[in-house]
Amino acid sequence: MDTKKSEVLQGTLDLMILKTLHALGPLHGFGIARRIEQLSQDTLRLNEGTVYTSLLRMQQQGWIAADWGTSDNNRKAKFYSITKRGQKQLALETENWERISGVIGRVLQLETER
Amino acid sequence: MGSKLEFSLRAFAAKVRGFLSRHPHDDEFNDEIQEHLQLLIEKFRDQGMPKEEATRAARQQFGNTTLLQEGRRELQTLTFLEALWIDLRYALRTLWKSRTFTVVSIATLALGIGATTAIFSVIENVLLAPFPYKDAGHIVFPRIHGAQQSQDDGRQGYTAAEVLEFAESNHAFDRTAATKEDLILYKHGEGTDQLYGAHVTPGTFEFFGMPALYGRVMRPSDYEPGAPPVFVMRYKAWKERFNGDLSILNKTFVLNGTTRTLIGIMPPRFGWYDADLYIPEKLTRGANGASGNSSPNWFFLGHLKPGVTNEQAQADLTVIANRLAKLYPHYYPAQFTVLVKHVGDTVLEPFKATLYTVLAAVGLLLLIACSNVASLILARATTREKEIALRTALGARRARLVRLLMVESLVLAMAGAALGTVFAWGGLKLLVAAMPQDFIPAETVIQLNAPVLIFTFCIAVLTPLIFGLAPALQSSQRDINDSLRDSGKGMSSNFQGRWLRDVVVVGEVALSLTLLISAGLMMRSFVALRQANLGLRADHVFQTMLVMPAERYKTAEQTVQFFRPLLSRVQALPGVALAAESSARPPYGGSQSKVEIVGKAHLEDWQTLFQYASEEYFRTLRMEFKQGRGFSEAEINNARKVAVVNETFVRRYLVNENPIGRRLRLISLETAADPHDTSFEIIGVVKDVTNRGPQAPIEPALWIPYTVSASGSRVLIVRTAQDPRTMIDLVRKEVWATDSGVALAYPSTLEDFISERMYAGPKFGFVVMTIFGCVGLILVTVGVYSVLAYSTARKTQEIGIRIALGAKRGDVLGMVIGAGLRLVGMGVAIGIAMSLLLGRVIQTQLVGVKAYDPATLVTTTFLLILTAIIACWIPARRAARVDPVIALRYE
Repeated sequence: MDTKKSEVLQGTLDLMILKTLHALGPLHGFGIARRIEQLSQDTLRLNEGTVYTSLLRMQQQGWIAADWGTSDNNRKAKFYSITKRGQKQLALETENWERISGVIGRVLQLETER
Repeated sequence: MGSKLEFSLRAFAAKVRGFLSRHPHDDEFNDEIQEHLQLLIEKFRDQGMPKEEATRAARQQFGNTTLLQEGRRELQTLTFLEALWIDLRYALRTLWKSRTFTVVSIATLALGIGATTAIFSVIENVLLAPFPYKDAGHIVFPRIHGAQQSQDDGRQGYTAAEVLEFAESNHAFDRTAATKEDLILYKHGEGTDQLYGAHVTPGTFEFFGMPALYGRVMRPSDYEPGAPPVFVMRYKAWKERFNGDLSILNKTFVLNGTTRTLIGIMPPRFGWYDADLYIPEKLTRGANGASGNSSPNWFFLGHLKPGVTNEQAQADLTVIANRLAKLYPHYYPAQFTVLVKHVGDTVLEPFKATLYTVLAAVGLLLLIACSNVASLILARATTREKEIALRTALGARRARLVRLLMVESLVLAMAGAALGTVFAWGGLKLLVAAMPQDFIPAETVIQLNAPVLIFTFCIAVLTPLIFGLAPALQSSQRDINDSLRDSGKGMSSNFQGRWLRDVVVVGEVALSLTLLISAGLMMRSFVALRQANLGLRADHVFQTMLVMPAERYKTAEQTVQFFRPLLSRVQALPGVALAAESSARPPYGGSQSKVEIVGKAHLEDWQTLFQYASEEYFRTLRMEFKQGRGFSEAEINNARKVAVVNETFVRRYLVNENPIGRRLRLISLETAADPHDTSFEIIGVVKDVTNRGPQAPIEPALWIPYTVSASGSRVLIVRTAQDPRTMIDLVRKEVWATDSGVALAYPSTLEDFISERMYAGPKFGFVVMTIFGCVGLILVTVGVYSVLAYSTARKTQEIGIRIALGAKRGDVLGMVIGAGLRLVGMGVAIGIAMSLLLGRVIQTQLVGVKAYDPATLVTTTFLLILTAIIACWIPARRAARVDPVIALRYE
């Protein structure tokens, strides 16, 4: 699909997934995709499949853990949950984002002050 | 922390884990994705979409599942290694399917790689690291090279006084040692054995950095005159003569009359001076009367201080030598330089040239082997055309195909290297057994050690590039349309392909011919060497060195008292024609001395070789006189000062003059243990006899009666009617009957003695080269055959058509053989050209034959063409028997 969009969003996708899991507890892949769809209010149209790539990478880094369980409609599904290390990573990334957006905000403000 | 490095490491670790665990979760992941898709489809259906549209929308929203799976694979495992592993298994499978090809290729490579490994092993152990001593690369010795002497000549033995000067006044060495050889008479219960001993100066074992294996080496106190006598034994002597019996340690032995205690046994690799035992001796500046102390018998070693070069050491020693030359002028030529040589150099010069020639030959052999395998691969490549075309059509990139084929080549090379190592191991055993005795230092061990195996491994990795790359590149670029249709088989193959195969055959033939020509030349050289006139008749002559106990044979009279009766008794033996005494054996001419001719002034240095002889000496060896005569019995008995000189002596010092009656002085005799008037009258001139070893030019030499002096080695030479070997025991009986304390050292026939020293080297080189030549010939035959067999198989249709159109069997034979011979002809032309070019390089090794000797060139070319014709014959016959009906029907 739109690969350019995917690449740009890969890093931020990690952040969104972590936040989602942190806020809403363990979810399976489909559930994570729905939540992100909701949160982004349909403006982010990424290939849902890329969620799984993120999930795999974050599993390798030890930020999330996977377990088999049963979903709402009684089907077998793999549930992902955030780990302690993942929470640390989340805090770190959030801090980064806020810092950057603060800086950008101030830069943009400069412009308008002219 | 979240550092980038940690991130990458974790990812990599996960990949390695995944690779090793063979990813058991593929199915799980697939299930997960499918589940997700299902849910998406349901979601869209809930929104009211019909089933088809919902499915399509779901897939669109999800994205490409195949790409996702691939992406996951890349995260989960080392894809490169995975692909390699698949290629490897596939290569093994296909190689197993075409077993003949695999076996022949591996055998061919094994021959090439094995030979290369063996020779490299010799070079590594002999040239690069022959000595096991501490920092052996910086151990050097000085040589006094007179301006008049030939290049490799010069004095390497020094008197005690000189050694002390060198040791004490030098600035170039941080440690020094000196060694003197000695024949040791070991008296035990049953009799007397002769052993080789070396006297060593204090600090010698520390110099070499080798402590004893059992017991201890000498302490400084052991070297003091008056200390209890001790000695140390070499491992080899301990094993061979005493059966490795440890109980002899600390026992006493009577050596040359002195009772010595054995205090230590050295480790196996210590073999300095090739001696059986080592005796301590401290050098002092004694008066000239001290026997043995003033003969230049000491070999001096120095270890260069770190950062000191050979040139600096040379300059340093030259200063000392100049000083010594003023003190002892009779030992120094008027003009000389001091050369500093590395300790391996004494033994290796004649061998080095042989080694490098053999290395080049082996390189050629390896190239031939590689080109053989290359053509075998090409021959086989066409049977896989369809497969490769299919892969290309399914999307394989060229690089991927090349990698696939290269993995096959690598497998072949590795297998070939493994088998080759086994060949090399066996070959080295043979080589070491066949190697002439003094070729390599005694401490050198030729074996497959770590550096050699690493070398073999590198070759195994590099050779696929030589033989596999070109075929791989060629195979991977076929026009796939042609390959997928069957018509590719019928017509003459791809033009490019044929060119490559032809080049391979031509190259092989050229290389093999070069090898054969070299072998032929070396064989002729060796034969010429053997036939070269030494100047004497060595057949039916028995010789042995006699070791006399020093304490009872101090004066000339004592020596004569032994030899006169011995010679007459030996001569009286049945089967003995003549018996004589001498101090040297051909091809050596005795000791060196400065010489002066009374009444002749000269500017340069005059040197001569001299040896002692009895009256029958010249007749025993059938040496011819040009002028004058040999010694008479009276002259010998009365120790008259007469001398016989050789032609070179006259040519050098008495040109255009009558030498008979002139008087000469031997300077070094003036300082020997029994000083006396040293002016000798020349009474005869004898034809030149080789006297400086196998390859050096003949030097001026002279003979004087053995009765004149007590010093010098004693050699017994006996001319026999039958095989000299049968005389050993009889002669020994006579020797012991005359004096039971005298030992025979290494008795043998004179022919064996000379042969070992003169011919052993060239013979070795020629045998090795011939083996390589033959192997090369075999490889070429197989190569030519396989290429021709393959190309005629490809042309089956064409041949079928020709026969159908009326060609006779003979025509087809002619066509195939003609094609083969055309290639061979080109190869021969190139091979001869290469040989002529290389001729100059090899000329230095050849004796009596030119590097472009026509007879050799013609014979080897003929031999090669003959084998090539035989190689062409079988495929040609097969081609001629092609049934046109079957051939044309194939399509």
